[in-house]
Amino acid sequence: MTVMLRINGEERAFYGDPMTPLVDVLRETLLLTGAKAVCREGFCGACTVLIDGVPTPSCLKPAGLSGGAEITSIEGLGIEGELTALQQALEDNDVVQCGMCFPGMVMTLTPFLAAKPDPTREEVKQALVGNICRCTGYERIIDAVLSIGNKERTP
Amino acid sequence: MHPPAKRSLHIARSVTEALEARARLGDNAEFFAGGTWIMRADRREEFEDRHYISIGGIEALAGILISKDDVVIGASTSHAELAAALTEVAGFRALQVAAEKSANPAIRNLATVGGNICTGGFAAADLVPALLCLSASLEFSGADGLERVPLETFLKTRSAVLPGRILTRMIVPRRPRRSAHARLPLKKAGDYPVAIVSASFALGENGAVEDAVIAVGSVEHSARRWTALETAIRGLRPTSADVVALAKETAGEFQGRDGVEAPGWYRVKVLPELARRAFEDLAERKV
Amino acid sequence: MTASIANPAVMNLARRDARDKLRGRTRYTIDHVTPGTLHAFLLRSEVPAARILRLDVTKARAMPGVRAIATAADAPGFFGIGIADHPLFAKDVIRYDGEPIAAVAAETLQQAQAAAAAIELEIAPLPASITMAQALAPDAPLIHENWRDYEILLEGAARGGNVAWEAKVMRGDTEAAFARPDVTIIDSCFSVGRQNHVPFEPRAVVATYEDGRFHIKTSTQVPWTVRNATARALDVPASQIRVTVPPVGGAFGLKFDCSLEPFAAVLARKTGRAVALVNSRREEMLTCLCRENAEIRIRSAVTKEGEIVGREATVLMDCGAYGGEQIFLTTMTAHTLGGNYKLGSARISSRAVYTNTAPNGAFRACNGVYNTFALERHTDEIAEAIGMHPMEFRRRNVIGDGDLGSTGQVFEGDVLGPMLEKMAALQAKAPATPRAPDDRRLFGRATTVGTWFIFVGPSSATINLNTDGSATLITSGVEIGSGTMVQSLPQIVAARLGIRPEDVVVKGADTDAAGFDLGVGGGRTTVSIGAASTAAADEVRKQILHAAGELLQTRVEDLELGAGRVEIRGVKGSGMTIAKVVQHLHGTVGPVAGTGAFTNPGVEAMAGCAMGHFIDAIDIPVFAVHDCEVAVDPDTGHVDVLSYRVVQDVGRALNPRAIHSQIQGGVVQGLGYALHEDMSVGPEGRILQSGFETYRLPGALDVVPVEIELHEGAPSIGPLGTKGAGEVPILNVGATIACAVSRAVGKPIHELPLTPPKVLDLILGDPRHLDHPHISATWIDNTIPVRA
Repeated sequence: MTVMLRINGEERAFYGDPMTPLVDVLRETLLLTGAKAVCREGFCGACTVLIDGVPTPSCLKPAGLSGGAEITSIEGLGIEGELTALQQALEDNDVVQCGMCFPGMVMTLTPFLAAKPDPTREEVKQALVGNICRCTGYERIIDAVLSIGNKERTP
Repeated sequence: MHPPAKRSLHIARSVTEALEARARLGDNAEFFAGGTWIMRADRREEFEDRHYISIGGIEALAGILISKDDVVIGASTSHAELAAALTEVAGFRALQVAAEKSANPAIRNLATVGGNICTGGFAAADLVPALLCLSASLEFSGADGLERVPLETFLKTRSAVLPGRILTRMIVPRRPRRSAHARLPLKKAGDYPVAIVSASFALGENGAVEDAVIAVGSVEHSARRWTALETAIRGLRPTSADVVALAKETAGEFQGRDGVEAPGWYRVKVLPELARRAFEDLAERKV
Repeated sequence: MTASIANPAVMNLARRDARDKLRGRTRYTIDHVTPGTLHAFLLRSEVPAARILRLDVTKARAMPGVRAIATAADAPGFFGIGIADHPLFAKDVIRYDGEPIAAVAAETLQQAQAAAAAIELEIAPLPASITMAQALAPDAPLIHENWRDYEILLEGAARGGNVAWEAKVMRGDTEAAFARPDVTIIDSCFSVGRQNHVPFEPRAVVATYEDGRFHIKTSTQVPWTVRNATARALDVPASQIRVTVPPVGGAFGLKFDCSLEPFAAVLARKTGRAVALVNSRREEMLTCLCRENAEIRIRSAVTKEGEIVGREATVLMDCGAYGGEQIFLTTMTAHTLGGNYKLGSARISSRAVYTNTAPNGAFRACNGVYNTFALERHTDEIAEAIGMHPMEFRRRNVIGDGDLGSTGQVFEGDVLGPMLEKMAALQAKAPATPRAPDDRRLFGRATTVGTWFIFVGPSSATINLNTDGSATLITSGVEIGSGTMVQSLPQIVAARLGIRPEDVVVKGADTDAAGFDLGVGGGRTTVSIGAASTAAADEVRKQILHAAGELLQTRVEDLELGAGRVEIRGVKGSGMTIAKVVQHLHGTVGPVAGTGAFTNPGVEAMAGCAMGHFIDAIDIPVFAVHDCEVAVDPDTGHVDVLSYRVVQDVGRALNPRAIHSQIQGGVVQGLGYALHEDMSVGPEGRILQSGFETYRLPGALDVVPVEIELHEGAPSIGPLGTKGAGEVPILNVGATIACAVSRAVGKPIHELPLTPPKVLDLILGDPRHLDHPHISATWIDNTIPVRA
C-alpha cells in the first residue's frame, strides 16, 4: 500500500505495511533519524513529532493513518537547521548529555512555549511528564527553558 | 517463540462502513481508535493475526455537545479535547480531572474516550470510574440500530454488548452535583494509577449528602461502584475523618488485583485515603 | 566561559556535540542501520534451565529473506572476566530465560523473526535455581556442571559449586574483637533488587566482514573488551577485529561488557553483508546486565565510645547464569562496604553466586550503591544501639589521614571529616523545608557518607599537532554522554599546549587507530586517558618549545605557551604562533606527534589481607557526603524528596558546570533506584518488568534541584589533581533516602527500592528485622574452605 505523507513541508511516499509505526517510516524509509524509538509505548517521548502542530508519539501512530496531516519532525525545525531559541538555550546552558531524549524534548516544548511563552517551573515540569531523560535529572533543562529571554520568573 | 503477527489496516469512513468491515472480517477484527493500546500489542505478547478497522476519521463519532440537560461526547474525542471542553462545566470536575491527568500529555492527544471504555484489558482507565460516578450512558450503533446502555450495565455485560456494535457516543446527564476524581499513580505523574476513586455527591441545603455515586477504578479488573460506602454516607454531613472511617469499614468489598506494579492489598488499602482526597476536593468546591 | 588565571584548564566549556544532538543530527549506532543492511534477530530461551535435545535450523534457513543462521557451532569459544565461563550461544544447556540459542540474519527484521520462530528446538526442562538462597542450598543442582574445567583468567580466588567467585578480606582478629566483654554486637541483614540502566539507546551493533577482517561499529564503553571478547567467542585472532564507536546514547555501565557484538560479527562473516543487531526495549528489559540484586549480612562489635573494633560482612551478589562483571565486582566490597570507617579488624566475604537468571553487569558506582545503603543503615543501627547521635558516630569514625582501609592500605589526607563540616554548614545556611500545620506526612532527614574509588588502569593517547595550530587527540575513549571526550580531555590537552579547547580535535574510538584502553567507566576516563593525553601533550610541547627556542634564540625555560603562541616569558608578541613552529618542523624534522601511556601506579595493601581481588588497594579514593529531607505519606507510602544536598570530593573541578550536571543526573538515577525502579524476577526466572509502563523511571515532577558543593584539594594522582566526577553522584542516594525514610516512619529499613507499596507495608506492620538464613552469623561458614 502507498501512503502519501506530508513531512516537514514535503510530500513523501511510503510503500509498505500501513500498520508500520510512523517512527519507523521516518527513520528507516525517509532516513530522518532524529526521532528515536526508545520505549515504543508512548511513555518516553523520544519519538515525539508534531502532527498538525500537536505533539504525538510517533511510535503509536500507524503510517496508514498519518496521511493528510502536516507532520513536523525535529529535522523540520528552524530555518536551514539553525537552532531555535529553545535549542539555543539548551546549548548555551550545556544541559545535553547523551542527547537521545532531546529531539523529543524539543518537539514537546516547542508548541508548549508557543502557547505559553512565560511558563512557571511547575508548568514546564508538567509539560515534560511524557518525556523521560535518563541522564540529566531534568532540573537544568528546566533552568534553560526558563532562561529564554532572561525574563524574571516565579518558581 | 511466536512469529510476528500479521496486522492489516482498514479505514472506515462511516459507522456503516465500520460495522460492515467488522462483520466481513470476523472475530479477529477490532476497531482502532487512538491506537495507544493496540500499537502496544507486541509488548503484551499478543501474537494473533489481526484486522484493524480505523474509526478515528468517522465524523459521527467526533465532537462534544454541551446542553443544559446533558453532555454528549463523541467516542473518538481525545482525552485532551475532553479536558479542554469540560473546564467550565459545573459538576463535571471528576471527568475533567480524569481526562486532564491520565497518562501523559502526548498520550492524551491520541487516546480516545471510546477506546478507554471499550478496552476491557485496561483496568487502569481513568475515564471509566469518572463516567461511572456521573451516571453516564453509552450509545452503541449496530445492525439492529441504536442501543443505549448505562455504563454500569455495560461494565458487567461487556462481552454481550460489544459484538456487532460500535460505541458512538457517551451521554452524561447534567445534574446539580459536585464531583471529584482522586487517582494514585506510583510516581507523581506519567504512569497509570494503581487505584482511583471518582465520586459525585448531591448535597442538600444543610450540606447533607442526599445521594452519592462513588466509583472505584484500577483496583479490580473492571471499575465498579463502591455501593457500601455510598449507602453508609447517604444522609450524613461527613467530615474527612468520617469519610475515611466509613471507607475503611467498607473497603473490604474490593478484591485488589495483583499486578507487576502493585500488589492487590495495596490497591485496596489506599482506597480510604483516595476517598478522603476526592471528598475534600469535592467539599471545597462550591459547584 | 572564563578560564581561571590559576589554571587555564579550568572553565565551563560547553559541549561541542550538543548542537547536533539538539537537532536530531547525531548518528548513534542505531542510526547506522542504513538501507541494504541485514537485520539480525536472536532466538532466545523462554525457560530458565533446560537441556537442549535437538536444534534444527534447516527449515528456518529456507524461509524468505533469510541470509544466514548462526548457532553454537559457529562460536566455539568461551569468554568472561576472571573465568571463561560464557559461551556465545547456549550449546547443550540453557541457563537463563532469554539466553541466545541461534541468530538469524535476514533482509528485514520481520523475516528474521519469522525464521527464528521456525527454528526447531527440543528441550528437556531442568530444575532451576532462581534465587541465591536456592542456588546455595546444599542440594542445589550445579548451574555449571563442569565449572572446574573453565579456563581461569585470574588466579587466586576460591570458587566452588554455584559460587562463581569469592573475594575475601581478613585483617586482624575479628573473633577476639567480637568476644570482648565491652562491645555491643550489631547484626543487620539487607536485601536489594536489580536496577536496569535503561540507556535510551539500547545495545546495538552493525558489523561487516571484509578482506578477512571484522569491522564492528557498536554502542559500547569498552572497544578493546569488545575486540578481545569477540575474538575469544569466535576463536579468531583479535587482530582481525576492528571496533569503532559512534556517539553512545547512554550507557551507565551496561555497555561496559561485550554483549551483542559477536553475534553480528559471525553473521557478517557468513553473509558478507553489513549486519545490524539492535535489542528491542523488551529484550533490554529481560536481558539487561543489571546492577545485581544482593543480599548482605553485616555484624559489628562496637564499644560504647563508638569504636568499631571488629566488622564481619558477607555480601552475596547475584551474577545470574554467567559470571560476567560480578566476578570483578566482588573486589569492590572491600572498598565500599569496607570503606567509610576506621575498623579495628575486618573480615569480608564477597561472593558472586550463579543463578538461573539473566546475567547482571556493571552499573554506575557498581556494588557501591547497595553496599553504601547497607553500611549506612547498619551505621544508624549501631548509633541507636549504643545511644550515640548518628552524626557524632560518623564524625568520630570516618577515615582520615593515616587511617587503614579494610585491606590495610594507608589513606592519605583528611577528606571525609572536612566534607561533613561543609555539609553541616550547607544545612545551617538553609532552614529545614517549612511544613503546613495540617500536613499529615511523616518527616525525616539523614546525612550519609560514601567511599568510591577511581579504577584507573591502562590508557594510551597520541597527539598530532597540525600546521594550522590545531591538535588531533587519538584515544580509545568513547563519548557516552558524560562529557569527558568533549570537555575534560580537550580542556586538559589545550591547557598543556597553549591552544583553545575548540582547536583540539578529539577522534572517536577506533581500535585500529588508537592504543589499548580499559574503557570508559568507573570514573576513570578523565584520570587515565587524561593522564595519557597529558603525557602525549608533554612530548609535543617539548618539540615545540625546543624548535621555538632555536627560532627565537631563547632558552626553553624562558618560553611559555598560550593563546596559540610561543612567547618569551612575560613579553607579549615577542614570539610566534604555534602553527608557524609546526610548519617549520615539517620542513626540518617532519610532522609533530607525541604519544603517552598510563596505568595504575599500584597502591599497596597490607600483605595477606586480600584474597581473590582484582585490585587489593585503591589508587584514588573518592568520597561523598549526601543529605536529604523526605516526607512520607502515611496513607499511601509515597515518599516526597523535599531537598537534596551533595558535597562531593572531586580532587579538582576542571568544568564545574559539567560536574554539577553529572551530580544532578546521578542523584536522580539514585532516586530511581531508591524509590521507583523495581526490577523483579518472577518464579520462572523471567524479569517481570518488560518496558517503561512497568519499570518506572523518575520523571521531571519526581525530582528536585540538588544543592551542590564541590570539595577540592583532596590528594589525587589524576592530571591536575582531578578525580572522576560522573560515577560517584549515585553512590549514597539509596543510603540517604533509606536512612531518612527510616527515621520518618520510625522503623528500620533493610530493603530497596522503597516503592509506595513497600513503604506502606513498613508503616502498617510491626518493626521487622530481616534475616538471611542462607548467610550464617558465623562468618567463616560463608566462605569456601581453603584446601590444604
